[in-house]
Amino acid sequence: MKARWIALAVLVVAAGLIAVLATRPPAAATEVNTPLLGHQAPQVSGSTLTGGAFTLSALRGRWAVVNFFASWCQPCQQEEADLVAFAYQHRGAQDAALVGVVYDDSTSSARSFLSSSGATWPAVADPGGTLAVDFGVRAPPETFLVSPAGVVTAHLDGPVTASQLDYWLARGTEAMP
Amino acid sequence: MTASRWRLWAPWLAMVVVLSVALAVGASRPGPPLSPTQRAAAIDAQLRCPSCEDVSVADSSAPTAVAVRAIVLQRVRAGERQAQIEDFLVSRYGPGILLRPPTRGATSTVWIVPVVVVVLALGGLGVFFWRRRRRAAAPVGIEDRSLVDHALAERAAGAQS
Amino acid sequence: MNAVLGHAGVLLSLVSAAVGIAVLGTGLGRRRPALVRAGRIYGVLVLVGAVVAVAAMEHAFVTHDFSLAFVADNNSRSTPLLYTVTGMWSALAGSILLWGVILAGYIGTVIWRFRRRAEDPLVGWALLVTYAVALFFFGLMAGPSDPFQTVAGAAPANGLGPNVLLQDNPLVAIHPPLLYLGFVGFTIPFAFALASLVTGRLDEDWQLATRRWTLAAWAFLTIGILLGAWWSYQVLGWGGFWAWDPVENAAILPWLCATAYLHSALVQERRGLLRVWNLSLVTATFALTILGTFLTRSGVVQSVHAFSESDIGPLLLGFFGLVLVAGVGLIAWRGDRLRSPGGIDATVSREGAFLLNNLLFAAFAFIVLLGTVFPLLYETFAGQQVTVGAPYFDAMTLPIALALLLLMAVGPALPWRKADATTLARRLVVPAWAGTAVVVIAVVAGVRGIGVLAAYGLAGFAFSANLRQLVLAMGAARRHGSRRWRGLVGRANGGMVVHLGIVVIAVALASAVSFAHRAQVTLRPGTSAVVDGERITYLSLAEVRGRASSATQALVLVNGHGPLRPAISEFGTGTQPVGTPAIASSPLRDVYLTIDSLPAAASGAVGIGVTVQPLVSWLWVGGGVVALGAVLAMVPGRRRRPTDPVSAQPGARRSGTRSTPEGAMVPSNGARAFDSTDAQEHEPAPGEPRPAVPVGP
Repeated sequence: MKARWIALAVLVVAAGLIAVLATRPPAAATEVNTPLLGHQAPQVSGSTLTGGAFTLSALRGRWAVVNFFASWCQPCQQEEADLVAFAYQHRGAQDAALVGVVYDDSTSSARSFLSSSGATWPAVADPGGTLAVDFGVRAPPETFLVSPAGVVTAHLDGPVTASQLDYWLARGTEAMP
Repeated sequence: MTASRWRLWAPWLAMVVVLSVALAVGASRPGPPLSPTQRAAAIDAQLRCPSCEDVSVADSSAPTAVAVRAIVLQRVRAGERQAQIEDFLVSRYGPGILLRPPTRGATSTVWIVPVVVVVLALGGLGVFFWRRRRRAAAPVGIEDRSLVDHALAERAAGAQS
Repeated sequence: MNAVLGHAGVLLSLVSAAVGIAVLGTGLGRRRPALVRAGRIYGVLVLVGAVVAVAAMEHAFVTHDFSLAFVADNNSRSTPLLYTVTGMWSALAGSILLWGVILAGYIGTVIWRFRRRAEDPLVGWALLVTYAVALFFFGLMAGPSDPFQTVAGAAPANGLGPNVLLQDNPLVAIHPPLLYLGFVGFTIPFAFALASLVTGRLDEDWQLATRRWTLAAWAFLTIGILLGAWWSYQVLGWGGFWAWDPVENAAILPWLCATAYLHSALVQERRGLLRVWNLSLVTATFALTILGTFLTRSGVVQSVHAFSESDIGPLLLGFFGLVLVAGVGLIAWRGDRLRSPGGIDATVSREGAFLLNNLLFAAFAFIVLLGTVFPLLYETFAGQQVTVGAPYFDAMTLPIALALLLLMAVGPALPWRKADATTLARRLVVPAWAGTAVVVIAVVAGVRGIGVLAAYGLAGFAFSANLRQLVLAMGAARRHGSRRWRGLVGRANGGMVVHLGIVVIAVALASAVSFAHRAQVTLRPGTSAVVDGERITYLSLAEVRGRASSATQALVLVNGHGPLRPAISEFGTGTQPVGTPAIASSPLRDVYLTIDSLPAAASGAVGIGVTVQPLVSWLWVGGGVVALGAVLAMVPGRRRRPTDPVSAQPGARRSGTRSTPEGAMVPSNGARAFDSTDAQEHEPAPGEPRPAVPVGP
């Protein structure tokens, strides 16, 4: 009799475990719940790939899309077309600006990667990977949305699409006072 | 104690003494003070390489790991303590950057549950044996006893031949 | 052509398994031995289908047939032949095929080995269970995870090639097949366990029948895991040999249960005890192999092994649940009938030690399982990510590992049924002193830290205790007129050798983990630095171009020897560069080098990561000893019926003769293995008390 209760208990626990495991989606490109959300974005300053200086605070008053990328990263290649489309859409209204950050790549490869896809936005080199650590980046591509006030409102992990960016932009604009 | 018992237990007694002394010496003498690189390496072993799974920053040569190592070393040299450095990294990556789940809060369950389970299991074992001991040993009948004596006698005879 | 042949093979196996189940089921249910006998042919057909499918797949690989999607994803024209052949199991669908063919091979072997018991319901039900498992795996291949899927449209001109990490080292040809031989091998004891429950033959028959199978599967799994650790250390540059990665944990979980079962089976063989434990352990082992496959292949946990994600995850989970329900349900159904006739008489006895052994291994497995799935559970319920990594596992499993070392030392010296202090004291005094000597030497040599010293001391204790058993066994062999080496073979003695190997591994682990020194040095060409007594000299960079890869190597001298070539390699364009380490290995310490950062110019400074770890090579030596012990354990020895008395036997074993108790099974070639029980019965000196026999008032 006792054996049946033990057996039942074992099966119930196993069923619970299976239920949890079965409902876990395989890791995919999604929004990341990062501690940076709602906080001031870390400073991004340095020289761009084409020479010239850049600081993120210069983009105050506009939405900034900070995109960590590398030329050898296949999802980054995948999302380039969408990023170019997004930049083109917003070139008139000037309400959103793109910034790239190079992740573990040589400047020449990154430069040719950007130019071959038609990207015209500035890209900052990140020697030593300190910017990546500051933003909590694990692996490219990761994209951050920074509000006109300089607050991080979204952290997207994986290749983004233009419609995703527009969606998060709209959500962020609504939430602003 | 009889002489034979003394001969049996004296070596054990001596062994326990020697072992205790050795362990006491081994546990007590403090090591030399650690250099900043060694302290940084110790902290690195507790941090997860951000772009890997379950590999520590100390073990991995991924670019994020190299970057984190540099930052940790810089902060150790600046005098920060392990808790401060970990807090900084947690503020960027979330609590998942630590390889050791925090002992406070909801994650304390992962620390407590195994201990509870092992204690219960050993306790159960103890109860099991305690119950068994309370049951009296079966009495040995005369027939069984003579059978055993006969077999032992035969064996003694066989061993001598 | 290949696709058609492959599909045909898979279908043949699938249908044969299904029909085999039907035929066997009818034959067993309706008690028609002729049908049970006839059911065996379907197992052979399953094997035929599997072989055809594998042949088709390998043919497709070797001829670069890119019309198959799987080949296009895992092979390219520039892939060397070895990695072309191993490409079959370098991704999910193909590894299911590998599982299927190994399972089919085991089924065929079972049919052949048990051909004289073809009508025995036990064998029949076991075969039915194996057919059901085969049905599941070939069903996966027929539908959701089809390795022979063709490319939509025209075949590409060239394929993508296998994953970069799998092109580097010949071990990819050995590690996965060995691991699978281990995993799949546990299907057989599980099948026989279920068969015994279904037929109601709950005695030791199923165990005796599957003894060597379990040992072989265990040996394969152990060697597979050790090779995986070696591969990860030597080549893949993850920085260590064991990271408590979810996939590594997935392999060690069944190993723990299997090891516990191997020991616990001895108790059931000798005294018919611990039946429920053994059935549960066998079920747990097999279920954990399925769960392990799920964890590895479903993408639920991100891992270095997660080479692909797939949607067979829920199916694997469902099968895992089914296995558990079948095993646990059948055990519960038989409930009271599983109660053993005898019982454990005394806490301090061989039986008590084995019971404690079971508990410790179960606790170990529980901790590993909890640590592996906890991040998933936590993320589901708390929404935040948490990592459970090496510090947790190391801290939690250390006490259990130490307790197991102690058991390993004391267990073989414990008598069956009841032990008293004097017996133990006499038997273990020399090993205990050996352990103490090790601790003293370590302290004198400057080792500090209670954990490490305890590990060393217990290791010394266990090593000498097991060595003592071997010496006694060899002496007993000599005394009984056989050659000395007979004391080294057979299950008990092979087990002692395995224990020796485990002790060596434990010492290596304790040393490597506690005394590792890591440092990062930045060196210009021609300069050197000293890390933990090793002089590291950086010479220059070198560019190497292979057929499918290009690498930047740093030439480094260690203490003037070398040059070693840690490198950063790129396999084709558009892939992430991969670091490969270089290791200078000596019996006492390993120097492990990686490139952390490359300079912008070839004459610039290179960042080199240096790890100095002592005694790492002992891990592999210990692994070799474990493998040797497993082989020794499989040598046939004296067959002992479970009911034969283990201590004094009237009228037996006079020196020089081979007389054995009546009716005992002896292999016809007269081979005998001696174990230390032959020796121990001569141990008690005249006048000393014997192990006590309970005597009534």
